[in-house]
Amino acid sequence: MKNKTFLIISREYLTRIKKKSFIIITVLVPILLVAMIVLPVLLVSLSEQQQFSRILVVDESEIFINNFKDNANYSFSYRSGNIEQIKNEAFDQNYDVVLQILSNSQAMKSNIYYKKNLPSGLQSEVENQMDDIFFNQLLKDSLKIDPVKFEDMQRLAKSESVTIQIDENGVEKERDSTINQLFGMFCGLFLYFIIVIFASQVLRGVLEEKTNRIVEVLISSVRPMQLLVGKIVGIALVGLTQMAIWAVLSMTILVGLQFAAPNLFTPGTVEEMPAYSSTGGMLSESADLSVSPDNIFEMIQNYFPVSFGVIIFCFVFFFVVGYLIYSTLYAATGSVVDNESDSQQYTMPITIPLLLAIVFVPTISTNPDGALAFWLSMIPLTSPIAMMVRLPSGVHAWELALSMGLAVAFLVFCIWFAAKVYRVGIMTYGKKPSWRTIFRWLRET
Amino acid sequence: MNIVEVQQVTKRYGDFTALDAVSLTVPQGCVFGLLGPNGAGKTTLIRILMRISCQDEGQVLFNGHPLSGEDVYDMGYLPEERGLYKKMKTGEQAIYLARLKGLSRDEAYTRLCEKFEQFGMMEWWNRPVEELSKGMQQKVQFITTILHKPSFLILDEPFSGFDPINANLLKEEVLKLKQEGTTIVLSTHNMASVEEICDHIALINRSRKILEGDIFEVKNRFKKNLFSVETSCCPDELVRLLQQQYQICSQKSGDYYTRFEVQIPETKTSNDLLGLFMQYGDIHSFNEILPTMNDIFIEQVEYANQQSSHEE
Repeated sequence: MKNKTFLIISREYLTRIKKKSFIIITVLVPILLVAMIVLPVLLVSLSEQQQFSRILVVDESEIFINNFKDNANYSFSYRSGNIEQIKNEAFDQNYDVVLQILSNSQAMKSNIYYKKNLPSGLQSEVENQMDDIFFNQLLKDSLKIDPVKFEDMQRLAKSESVTIQIDENGVEKERDSTINQLFGMFCGLFLYFIIVIFASQVLRGVLEEKTNRIVEVLISSVRPMQLLVGKIVGIALVGLTQMAIWAVLSMTILVGLQFAAPNLFTPGTVEEMPAYSSTGGMLSESADLSVSPDNIFEMIQNYFPVSFGVIIFCFVFFFVVGYLIYSTLYAATGSVVDNESDSQQYTMPITIPLLLAIVFVPTISTNPDGALAFWLSMIPLTSPIAMMVRLPSGVHAWELALSMGLAVAFLVFCIWFAAKVYRVGIMTYGKKPSWRTIFRWLRET
Repeated sequence: MNIVEVQQVTKRYGDFTALDAVSLTVPQGCVFGLLGPNGAGKTTLIRILMRISCQDEGQVLFNGHPLSGEDVYDMGYLPEERGLYKKMKTGEQAIYLARLKGLSRDEAYTRLCEKFEQFGMMEWWNRPVEELSKGMQQKVQFITTILHKPSFLILDEPFSGFDPINANLLKEEVLKLKQEGTTIVLSTHNMASVEEICDHIALINRSRKILEGDIFEVKNRFKKNLFSVETSCCPDELVRLLQQQYQICSQKSGDYYTRFEVQIPETKTSNDLLGLFMQYGDIHSFNEILPTMNDIFIEQVEYANQQSSHEE
């Protein structure tokens, strides 16, 4: 008998794994995921490695002459005279840009002349430098303050704070709650999508067997329960396989990138990224950090109140339990209707809690210990998602255990419910059963 | 030896009684016709036999013991509403269904190749089922039903959707299975095929069994002592005597013969009738007309319906 269930599992699994759409999605998602991480870094580093620009300054106000600072990307030269004539000559002399500063000093106005294209960032670089120079000029002339001293004072007056969480054991750790929140939201949404995707595959599978009537042949060979278990387990394995491949592929691509472009993840570039800028303190402490994936893990490890292993374990746990809850209920739904559009009437009561969980994801993530977050992470239909959102920000062990326990208890109920409904439902055609009829099925043995 | 005994089986769906204390016995090695109007409860009975659903009262014996889960592997079932996984490849699917019935992969493969070859379907092995014609799909289904060589086979309307050639192929296959010792329950509305291949029948009407028995015995039970006689000449004297002593149902004359259909009253025998004809000419043929299953079906169902409306 067990053999039959295994046979059904392997059919459900293999037919799905062999589909083109499965292969495409399995390959595409990690690429997109890595692209999402790498592209911003790449863009930042590309903009830093921009072409070198030579700028010819024609300063009619005479405030800025020799005050621009050359740096890695820009060099400044100065000339005075007729702007038209200089413009004509400058581009032939390999200058990329001619900067004309107008003499009206009330408002610092300037024109930037260029041919072909203006290097990105050049305009803001020029404006910033002009602001600084003009400000220093004002300090010196109007307030009689030495700009160098002023800069020192400014540096002295700068404050810097680090957020530190003290955990239950009294250990202090530097934290950045925004990262936790973002990561939590990502986990919750991701879990939502995969639960819905795979649970609705169960619904469609049950419906397929029912509408093409093969179910009658199958039921004459195996028990309905074996068929149901085979389908649900088979599709769950498809989901787990897909996630495992995603994880491995993403890692491979990241490691591959590491070798192909070792400088991509150097702290310098990372620090430029807006998302990481607030973690500057930590990065500077370990300045020699050349980020290999191991170090990324260490970095994550340092930053989450919950260990990464626990997060992965919980993710898989809540995927499995959440998927099982929804797929058994969906299977029961699929068995009582004759076509997919009718199924919505019955799935509504179970999809509404799921949608609620999604709607409240931002609220939960900003206030992970609030009452709403707590209750949503206890109610079994919403708990997988709500708990995953809360988890990266740290959750009491008893809350996690209670949430898991409630989910499992509810799952047992769902299995009982689905088994009863499914057995009768798959053999019933035509009229859609009312809720009362379904309750009668439940009472019958 | 009876392979299946249904004893006082009752099945209710809510307030509706689908089977009302039905009992019948299927003898080993016969083709058993399960007949009845639409909605009479045939499919419900079949589902109980296949253990797809469970009776509320009564019991079913299989080879003398109460029907159990293991017996299902010795049974084959071709449902009336047939279906296969549309996207799955034909051969792969047939092997899967056979393995669900307990065959090993290799065994299933060997037997399938043989059957596919026989039905001329080898080229369809790797095509998805949705590309097959309806008749072809029916064939695949029939093949998967009998592949595990069940000793008890239930075919629900097996001939519907087949062209005459394939229907004949199927009929031969059924008779071959019977020769090999398989017991076959045939549920059909096609009375011609019942006459041709069934040995036993049971008639179910409105959840109750109203008739059961050996097909020859049943026909004899409902015969009306009707005889067909063909004779060389037909003097008025003969016609007058026939009208007096017997009842002429029809009379048809050709150039060289006359054919009568005569009903014999209980006071006379067929020999009396034959004797009468012999006095007036050469007899070309003389035989009893037994009622067709079609007649019996219609008559019995209408009779049962009248009875039950009287009861109400």
